[in-house]
Amino acid sequence: MDMLGLYPTWYEPGIGSGWVIGIIATLHVLFSHTAVGAAILFAFLAYIGYRDDRPELIDFIKKYGLFLLVFSYILGSITGPGIWYSTTVGSPNGISALIHNFVWKWATEWVFFVIEVVAVYMLVYLVGKVSQQTHLKIAVIFGLTSYATMLAIVGILSFMMWPGHEKWFTEGGYLYGFYGPNTFAQLAIRTAFMFTMTAVVGGIVAAGLKDKEFKRWLLRRLAVIGIISTIIGMAMYPWYLSTLPEVANVLMANRLPDYFTPAVLFVLAAIMAYFIVTLMSPRVVTASVAGIATMAILVLGLWPGETVRETVRKPWIAGQYLYSNQVIGRDVPGMDVKSEIPLLEEKGFTRAHVFWPENQREINPHNAIHVGQSLTLTACANCHSLSETGMRPLVNYFGGISDIERIKTYLVGAIATGNTMYMPKVPLKDDEAEAMALYIASLNDDEVVARYVNEKTRQAAASEENTRLSAQ
Amino acid sequence: METEMLYALRDPLGVPSHPLMFLVLGVLTWAMHIVAVHVLLGSSALAIYGSLSSQSHWRRLAAAMVNTAKVAISVAIVFGVAPLLFVQVIYDPFWYTSNVLSAWWVIGFIIILIIGAVALFAFYVMNKSMAEVEKTRCPGSMILAIALFLVVGFIMHALAVQMLHPEKWMEWYAPGGIIDPSGRSIHEFNLWRFGFFIALSAPMIGLWLYAYRRYLMARENENAEYLDFLKRLAASLGSIGGVISLVFFIAWMLTLPENIASFATSIWPVLTILALAAAVAFPMLIARKLDTGLWGYAPFAVGIIAGLVVAIMREAVRWQTLFGVHGYNPLDYKVHMDWYSTLLFIITLVVMGGAVLSYLVTVAWKAGQTKGMYTPSPAVNRLGNFAIATVAIWILQYFGFGLWVAYM
Ligand code: HEC
Ligand code: HEM
Repeated sequence: MDMLGLYPTWYEPGIGSGWVIGIIATLHVLFSHTAVGAAILFAFLAYIGYRDDRPELIDFIKKYGLFLLVFSYILGSITGPGIWYSTTVGSPNGISALIHNFVWKWATEWVFFVIEVVAVYMLVYLVGKVSQQTHLKIAVIFGLTSYATMLAIVGILSFMMWPGHEKWFTEGGYLYGFYGPNTFAQLAIRTAFMFTMTAVVGGIVAAGLKDKEFKRWLLRRLAVIGIISTIIGMAMYPWYLSTLPEVANVLMANRLPDYFTPAVLFVLAAIMAYFIVTLMSPRVVTASVAGIATMAILVLGLWPGETVRETVRKPWIAGQYLYSNQVIGRDVPGMDVKSEIPLLEEKGFTRAHVFWPENQREINPHNAIHVGQSLTLTACANCHSLSETGMRPLVNYFGGISDIERIKTYLVGAIATGNTMYMPKVPLKDDEAEAMALYIASLNDDEVVARYVNEKTRQAAASEENTRLSAQ
Repeated sequence: METEMLYALRDPLGVPSHPLMFLVLGVLTWAMHIVAVHVLLGSSALAIYGSLSSQSHWRRLAAAMVNTAKVAISVAIVFGVAPLLFVQVIYDPFWYTSNVLSAWWVIGFIIILIIGAVALFAFYVMNKSMAEVEKTRCPGSMILAIALFLVVGFIMHALAVQMLHPEKWMEWYAPGGIIDPSGRSIHEFNLWRFGFFIALSAPMIGLWLYAYRRYLMARENENAEYLDFLKRLAASLGSIGGVISLVFFIAWMLTLPENIASFATSIWPVLTILALAAAVAFPMLIARKLDTGLWGYAPFAVGIIAGLVVAIMREAVRWQTLFGVHGYNPLDYKVHMDWYSTLLFIITLVVMGGAVLSYLVTVAWKAGQTKGMYTPSPAVNRLGNFAIATVAIWILQYFGFGLWVAYM
């Protein structure tokens, strides 16, 4: 028995699962980057504090370190698995693909994570209790391991778009999956922006300093770091683009919203403006100004990156072989993975899907609407909301029509053949296409189901009548 | 759900090493997770109880326990992430289904845990000088934290139990034959099982208190009355908590699902009870020795071993259900051996992890035992340099292999 290894679908009609995942991911970036930024800065303050014998700096670390480091650290480490959990429920096969390719990399990252947790507490609590040289060693360990966690994760992130190397498809293996030109371009950009983050988050730290002179000195330096790292990050963007496959550039040219480029430029300009203002008059930076700026910059800065990532990897969700709707769309001989499209073409979702209600395995006029719902949930809901809110509501995309035949024609002609660039190929049996069309029509028109059932019943009665007559 | 369907859900990528490695690592790290959870819940409970008291010993203990809880939550999270990783490597069909069917709770888990952690921190920050003053500020925050931690644990529990019922999944997903994709419900739980894992916090924090007491004894002029108070408290937490845990455990065994009811009469419950009894009785058994040498730390070490036995028993329940009843064998997962990443993990864990953690723990330990500033010996310094070098080498190999693969 050949079955399609698909899980149940989680569908959230209100805001849509995509948004839930996005919100948690944003929070994670906020917390984790704050933690990294603060950590780098604290190591630096400790260094200056010891070098110039300035106990007030060491005091400061003790006082605020707890809040910034431990707090953002803990929240960062909760939202980290949070991303896992939320992708798990939004895209179980997607996270599974990452886990099964990279489990050891994640386990390796976990070793760094354990070290970080021990080090972060020591960094804060052992200020003044261990020799200066020892404290610096701890800071170095903390800094290096934090960076190593980024190294460990970046290849996994780029695999979500492309396997590192073309050879992964034919030869498989961790190294070809993880490493490629795109991995390094991404790493370089992320590293640059990590310093931007440090500079922004540093504002919160600096705002708390009592010593006016030192505060100004620190804020100026942070502003310079911020300006330089932002420029470097921007300058590397063309390199990053050049590591993307041809199709990605086509997608970006065609599918990104028109306001995208101006919006990105605006965000970058805002970041630069913030740094320039702090450079000119550090007094402006109070803890709340810095806090708000941090949130704004992180969220705004995150958004273009995420939009690009989402746009260029459509219709895939991982490794260019797994579709967003969880179906495997191409062979990966290197890993003995077979496309599931032939199976779908042969049997259809209704017969092949593991999680399919038994009473929906055969389609008839009475259950057609439910089968249609199940099909749409399975094949489309990952990208299209089925209500009027949320991500790309399906209702809006069919121009308000409730003509089952027309919808069916589109489904069979465009989607079942895989004729769009950004949507998966979704093979549909004829009766499946009709059921899905019925369901989609019902989103616009409450009465369509009743009409459909009536019509089918009449047709059935008529044909029965015909058979009877011809038999006579 | 038929066995073939369960197998169909497996990831076609296979796993990069023998599946047994993931099974073992999952059990080991989960044991650490649950022990840390016990310390978290136990210390939080003692903290709130003590902070509502006006007795000076209790207040002092409460202050110490808030500090413990604050670290324990980090440790619990770190050791929660690891089994979270491993469980989905070999039990993916079960774990993912269970998660998706209760999706909102999975999301809620994160949010509730965040609020709980914030509440714990708020309590800590507001009561930094609890041992010195009579008044406790905002005890509600700590109560809230504990309540939320329990909810978090309950969600974990439901996910762990739901995965054991493939025969019910379809009814949960499509009640009456119509799919309900909302993920709003918790579908299955067993309060005895959950209660058992929670109740173990009492004996475990008792064992932890022996270690805390031993730590204090290393200092000069430590208040003997306080030490005595700790010892009595630890003993009663151990015995009373042990009995309560036992009751929950037996009730769990009696309420196991019918198809694995025979588990209750297997060797596992016997081993579990023996291990827990040994851990609780251990401080009494070593009696006088407790105050000599490093023996004061031994009870907690025995507690960790008991936690490991509990973890193995819990895995045996899962094995008997999934393999025994449903015919799913996690150990026959298709293997796509990947030597580089397997060895990278092992070497990172053993060499780098070993070096860095021994350095950090040595420093933390010595600093805690030293009055004033601790200056390490040259040997410890060398260990520190070696530790930093291992991390640096790790980063170098990352770029070495990476650039070679990407551009050659
Ligand atoms: C990988 C995510 C994804 C999946 C899965 C998906 N779509 Fe789309 N769909 C898109 C995107 C992206 C667009 C273009 C949106 C835009 O232009 O704003 C789109 C556009 C459409 C349109 C508008 C016409 C067009 O061709 O641009 C229709 C109709 C449509 N989708 C129907 C469906 C149906 C029916 C399904 C399920 C069988 C489905 N989609 C599955 C991503 C997806
Ligand atoms: C205060 C917080 C927490 C508490 C009280 C708690 C408690 C528990 C309990 C009681 C169980 C056993 C459930 C059962 O088998 O019946 C459990 C299992 C588990 N916990 Fe936690 N937990 C907490 C936080 C976390 C976190 C933050 C993570 C991950 C990031 C996590 C990951 C896990 C996993 C993966 C399992 C199941 C492992 C398996 O089935 O193999 N926990 N937890």
